[in-house]
Amino acid sequence: MDHPVQPDDTWDAGDMGCGELVYLLMQRLRSIRPGQVLKLTATDLGAPQDIPAWCRMTGNPLLWAQHPHYFIQRKES
Amino acid sequence: MAGKFCVSITSAKNDTDKATVGFVVANAAVASAQETLVFLSTEGVRIAVKGYAEEINEPGFAPLKELVANFVKAGGKIYVCSPCFKKRALDEKSLIAGATVVGGAKLVEFLASGAPCISY
Repeated sequence: MDHPVQPDDTWDAGDMGCGELVYLLMQRLRSIRPGQVLKLTATDLGAPQDIPAWCRMTGNPLLWAQHPHYFIQRKES
Repeated sequence: MAGKFCVSITSAKNDTDKATVGFVVANAAVASAQETLVFLSTEGVRIAVKGYAEEINEPGFAPLKELVANFVKAGGKIYVCSPCFKKRALDEKSLIAGATVVGGAKLVEFLASGAPCISY
């Protein structure tokens, strides 16, 4: 299935998971502007649970997801 | 309104007493109308593999297999630490019913909602 948005940045996190993945995801998202979209690729088994949870907690919208691909928008301000 | 409750279990056959008592308490919580989560990490992740719990029968307690099955049947959730699972080269296709492999963010979300946590 095609994703609905064009990403402004991409990051292949490989099999990184857990705290390391979300910590570096936080830093990666800070490197783009509010409203822009990051395409994350994360193959870790926990990613399908973790990435949506992290997006809910941080308020960065998860626009589209189909493991291992996740399209995350940096929240406004 | 039901509250939330987390039981963290870090032992398996290396400490069958802790592994068993953790699920005894988890069953007490789920039977007390609490939204209950068992978080399995380090050696504890082995409990989430089919067949493993069948070999743990701690004297004085119900068999671990029965405790785990009852917990899931009552609506309890089991989160399995992703890096701990991966480190031990366990097979995700062999997960028991009710178990989900997660990373830290999923656990943090549950606890950040105000859930207390007891560790074994």
